[in-house]
Amino acid sequence: MMHGIINIIRRVYPSYKNKQIFLAFLFVSPWVVGFLIFGLYPIIMSVYYSLCRYDVLRIPQFIGFANYRDLFFDDPYFWKAIWNTLFYTAFRVPLSIIGSLLLAVLVNNAVRGIKIFRTIFFMPSIIAGVVLSVIWLWMLNPQYGLINSALLFFGVTGPLWLQSAEWSKPALILMSLWSIGGGRMIVFLAALQGIPQQLYEVVDIDGGSWWNKFWNVTVPMMSPVIFLWIVLEVMFSFQVFTEAYVMTQGGPLNSTLFYNLYLYYKAFDDFEMGYASAMAWILLVITLIVTLAQFKIGRKWVYYEGDQAGK
Amino acid sequence: MDLIKKIAYTLGIAGIILFLIWDLPFGEPVPEGRELIRYWFITGAKEEVPYHARKFNAIQDSIYIESTAVPWTEHEKKILTGIMSGNPPDVIQQVTPVVKWASRMALIPLDEFIHRDNFDTTIFFPALWEEMKWEGSVYALPVNSASYAFLYNKRLFREAGLDPEKPPETWSELLEYNRLITQRDQRGRFTRMGFIPHYGNLQTSILMAWQLGASFLSDDGTRISMKNDETLKAFAWIVDYYNEYPINDVNAFMAGFGYAEQHGFLSERVGMMVLDSSFLDQIERYRPDLEFGVSFIPAFEGYTTVSSSGSWWLAIPRGAKNPEAAWEMIKLAVAKDTQLETVAEMEESLFPGTREAANDPSFLTDEMTEVFVRQMDYARSPSIVPMAHDVFWREFHNAQERVMFGLQTPEQALARAERIVQRALDEAMSYDRFVRGRMSITDHEK
Repeated sequence: MMHGIINIIRRVYPSYKNKQIFLAFLFVSPWVVGFLIFGLYPIIMSVYYSLCRYDVLRIPQFIGFANYRDLFFDDPYFWKAIWNTLFYTAFRVPLSIIGSLLLAVLVNNAVRGIKIFRTIFFMPSIIAGVVLSVIWLWMLNPQYGLINSALLFFGVTGPLWLQSAEWSKPALILMSLWSIGGGRMIVFLAALQGIPQQLYEVVDIDGGSWWNKFWNVTVPMMSPVIFLWIVLEVMFSFQVFTEAYVMTQGGPLNSTLFYNLYLYYKAFDDFEMGYASAMAWILLVITLIVTLAQFKIGRKWVYYEGDQAGK
Repeated sequence: MDLIKKIAYTLGIAGIILFLIWDLPFGEPVPEGRELIRYWFITGAKEEVPYHARKFNAIQDSIYIESTAVPWTEHEKKILTGIMSGNPPDVIQQVTPVVKWASRMALIPLDEFIHRDNFDTTIFFPALWEEMKWEGSVYALPVNSASYAFLYNKRLFREAGLDPEKPPETWSELLEYNRLITQRDQRGRFTRMGFIPHYGNLQTSILMAWQLGASFLSDDGTRISMKNDETLKAFAWIVDYYNEYPINDVNAFMAGFGYAEQHGFLSERVGMMVLDSSFLDQIERYRPDLEFGVSFIPAFEGYTTVSSSGSWWLAIPRGAKNPEAAWEMIKLAVAKDTQLETVAEMEESLFPGTREAANDPSFLTDEMTEVFVRQMDYARSPSIVPMAHDVFWREFHNAQERVMFGLQTPEQALARAERIVQRALDEAMSYDRFVRGRMSITDHEK
């Protein structure tokens, strides 16, 4: 049996190099086959379904681009969901990057007990999504919550947070910063510690300040990591779902109806799979455009070691 | 040395394999000579095989039922994929509207079985029975039910100087009582409220609209009417309420509500509420000492009370391998004695699904249960727009929310909702017309 297979390989791939290629494909084949059946096939079908009325239980009805037309011109919730998601992304991405970068710089100091601080900052990021949401429901409670109690201590009457259409998105952004900050901090910390000390010594010799060190050494040396996390963070933010699903169900007044939440309602409450597929493809296109734009802009400011800056 | 290594490896690997398969559910052994059918039931906190399934296995000698629990949050998706894969169970339990599934050809009609066996269909509550039908055919049988009634806290009544044996009978009385019960702290925050129209599963506004005789769907099922006089009047009442009790203050108060002991009614922060019959279980579990009464849901002067019903139903999904055996099991589950035994046996028990069992003296042991059962005679089905069920309810809530927050007038909000639901209904009907003639219930796509 084994002999037969080897003979076939010999015939098809006479050279050693070809044999290597074949073996390589053989080794990745479990993944490739899995991807083709469970990944690519559904992806292709969802393109087709996005052009159909389809409720899974019955046969699809081809309706051309009607789903897309309805989404763009006839569905107020679609635009509401886009606006909510963009608002969330626009604040969460820069705030989380800046916040965790500063946190990383802070815990990069060799202060006594720094490891305890690192642990404390990191801890929130190990809490699972649903548990986190339930904890924050209480933290954000307008009457008895920790946050508003703290604000009241300073004489400020806190907002209604999740109960108000104006404050519900900021509340969720705040929560996400708390929960993801620690994890990002660890990544940035690792990158920080990889920066050669000599570079800082050079700044010292030249008489530069801490700001020069941060802006002219730390940031450029960290830029590939920062760039990576901006790209990823945008993608994660576009997909925000759990918090809204658990905590607000999209309310009040649809102020937390995020794109994926609306997609979920369409797919699994209304069984409008075709419509939901169209929504998924629109999200993909938006994400693709934003990511490509970031790579284009990234070339201007991301510094890769061993590379000439600006290339 | 080599030998020792080999033995160690062999033992290690064998150990790991054994460990992995040790606890695998290989399934219960099917008694010899019995046909196996599969049953998916919904489970909540406790994974308890329903009594009717256990009884069926105990008394049957030709069919054996294998019960699988489907988590509460995933039941729709599981059944959806089960039917789609062409390998569904023989019996399913569901809680959402029957028509949502029946109208999509997901269920096998039961008419033939019913006629053949001369099955008595008058044993069910009329409201529940209507819900089981779609276009003249019956698709499911209700196995459990829940109805809504009015619960009030007697202790809070006494503290407010009200007679604890005299619950409000009209909405204006309810408003009066609410004023007396509601309390605020020095900073003006609510610490206790009599009644909150938008707290609870069943919205006050829909109850009011029903009482006044609102009809949301034309008789031929094609035209939506949400901006009708009755719903406008109900929404106007809501507007008046929130003019007196600002929505932001009420919401701040309600933010502290949760489940179990945190529930507004159980924690005695809300004095009066419309709740369903399964809530009695929760009171028993979390606040057995709560002093409360149950009465009919208030009505407008000159109108009668209205309630709503919910049902857990059994049906045979399209593609089921053994509908005959499935029907036997469903019949047993709704039989009067099974229903009554279920209530006695199960830890988490709902109301019986049949009027026959619910009115049996052995079930009607206390006054409260009786109110819930009698309220069922005034129940309306929550399946208002069968073909756009979820859209209708989402828009109804959205409209009410916009009115509560003062964003729109009732006319504007309901007109907008009407437009959106009509569009969804048109879409659904157009899809339905397409599917008819191209596909039938007996098709198995796979």
